[in-house]
Amino acid sequence: MGILKYTNILALCGLVFILSANVNARPISWPGGNTYMYKSDSTKTSKNYHYSPSYKYSIGVEFVNDKYFKDEYMNFRGTYLLDRRNTKKSQRNFYITGAFSGKSSNNYFYGVHGDWETRRFFSSISYINKYTKLKNYTEKELQLGVAPYLGEYGDIHTWVMMKAKRNTINDDWETYPFIKLFTGDYMLEIGNKNSHWDLHFMARF
Amino acid sequence: MNKILLLTLILISQISHAEKNHDSHSNEESHDMSEGNHDMSKDKKIDGSKYKLNTKRYMDFIEGLTEVQIAIVDVKGMVCDFCARGITKTFYKDAAVVKVDVDLETGKIFIAYSKSKKIDFEDIKEKITKNGQTATTMQIKKL
Repeated sequence: MGILKYTNILALCGLVFILSANVNARPISWPGGNTYMYKSDSTKTSKNYHYSPSYKYSIGVEFVNDKYFKDEYMNFRGTYLLDRRNTKKSQRNFYITGAFSGKSSNNYFYGVHGDWETRRFFSSISYINKYTKLKNYTEKELQLGVAPYLGEYGDIHTWVMMKAKRNTINDDWETYPFIKLFTGDYMLEIGNKNSHWDLHFMARF
Repeated sequence: MNKILLLTLILISQISHAEKNHDSHSNEESHDMSEGNHDMSKDKKIDGSKYKLNTKRYMDFIEGLTEVQIAIVDVKGMVCDFCARGITKTFYKDAAVVKVDVDLETGKIFIAYSKSKKIDFEDIKEKITKNGQTATTMQIKKL
């Protein structure tokens, strides 16, 4: 338990890092790049802006409307690329990520995210610890995807994806399909889960 | 489900490790053409020994270009359009760059420079590294 607490403090002090479930879509842009993200699902709606001074990290702010706890707050967020392996046909990344709220010192999160992708296949996992005034909980997520066709540079690219996620509030895995489209500097993810739409839009500039 | 997460993590590491080994072999076989400003137009193989050039994409790229030199750079980690965006934006900041294109299929970047530009592979490598990818070899063709 002591080790866990020590790890938590280290993670908080050492990082000012980002995010939650949408880290799969390149949480860090090119050096000097700006990113705007809008994400909405059954639990929250968030608007996020971040800036990437280098390909290693990004810092930004997120405005959150928490539907589950009926709360609104702003997060200062960051992501750091811990390790990347480039090969000719694939890329693998490990990120650490976290945020703290401007509203309360009891509101913050941190976690890890990993992904591996080729032009045809995509996989990612994330593990996020969240702390709020009302409840502390953990979110786990697994994504698998396949590109039905291999687009060239500048084309519209499509991924057919499956997402499985679980948080310790509901203590149950939810699995549902979604589709990811991107072209140029824009990306759109749409999924449906129990008649709730998941929407994720991203623009980089 | 925890087991599935763990298995996925292990799978990712294993695949990555396997590809790293495969890649090492590829590098041993390829030739680094960064030594100078070679005219490679007479070479039988435009791209070293391992990865073929997409001729159609290259011909589309050079269409309408004259009095330029084309750097053909092999890059590792350029697996998606999103990854490559930063690379093209970076090279377009160089006033000597006339045109840039990315061939995701073969992992190559085409950079058309004005003829007076002295192409420096170390500079190209540094730009690509700063974008989070890895340049391995380069060849130059003059038009």
